[in-house]
Amino acid sequence: MIKVDVGLCLGCLSCSNVCPSQNITRTETGEMRSIHWKRCKEECDLCVEFCPAKALTLVPFDETVPEPDVSFELVACKICGSRYATEPMLKRIESALPANMQKDSEGLEWIRVCPACRRNIEAERATKQMVLGRSRKSP
Amino acid sequence: MPVYIDISRCIGCRSCEVACQRVHGGSGHINVHFVGDSASIPIFCHHCEEANCTVACFTGALHKEGERTAFDVDKCTGCGLCKLACPFGVVWTNKIAHKCDLCEGRDAPACVTTCPANALSTDFELASRRARSRAARAAAYGGRR
Repeated sequence: MIKVDVGLCLGCLSCSNVCPSQNITRTETGEMRSIHWKRCKEECDLCVEFCPAKALTLVPFDETVPEPDVSFELVACKICGSRYATEPMLKRIESALPANMQKDSEGLEWIRVCPACRRNIEAERATKQMVLGRSRKSP
Repeated sequence: MPVYIDISRCIGCRSCEVACQRVHGGSGHINVHFVGDSASIPIFCHHCEEANCTVACFTGALHKEGERTAFDVDKCTGCGLCKLACPFGVVWTNKIAHKCDLCEGRDAPACVTTCPANALSTDFELASRRARSRAARAAAYGGRR
């Protein structure tokens, strides 16, 4: 059976992805992501092995222990407002990357921006440079 | 070697997008963006030297292989941390991650061989040679460069 350290869980769904018997289920509404671990009797520890946060451990089967549930409010993109990640996942990225990488050349904290907006920003920057180069008159 | 873009040549036909999808079983890794009415530009992986996605990946599925940021599908758990760590938004996850692999196993990336405007190339020198020749033309004839 799986024991979950709720304080460590990132809400990344790794465990749910690797579980061969669909014992870890996910529900995602617009604003919330919930993960539910069924009481399982398997002697498999794939979810434990592939948890990036080491939040899972295997414990002996016990019917009286309630099935664990975790819910995360999804973080909204600073620019477009779409919900794109859980707070612990973003915190993990922020602690993994060096501080000087976390702001771009214009001071934008890009980790708090969703991937779709990051692509737009990149396109706009490259265009600005190109247009500047084209309109620059020769000396 | 990564794919370089000369965006002043991009005509926004999205052929690269289609070519990428064609050789990657329907899920491509290029997005052509249109910026107002002034430009179009394909957005895809830069194969960063110090790649954030490889730092975020905890299983080693994303890793550097020379200049290439390579992806080992067997090690991916679909956690999505790489997607959040990429500053350019060019790692996707759909149960598992997918990103530009520079068309591993092909002679040249499909987007490069397909682009009808020669906006994409694997030759870093090409873009700077073109810029120099534009500058030389401008110096000789005046006007734009």
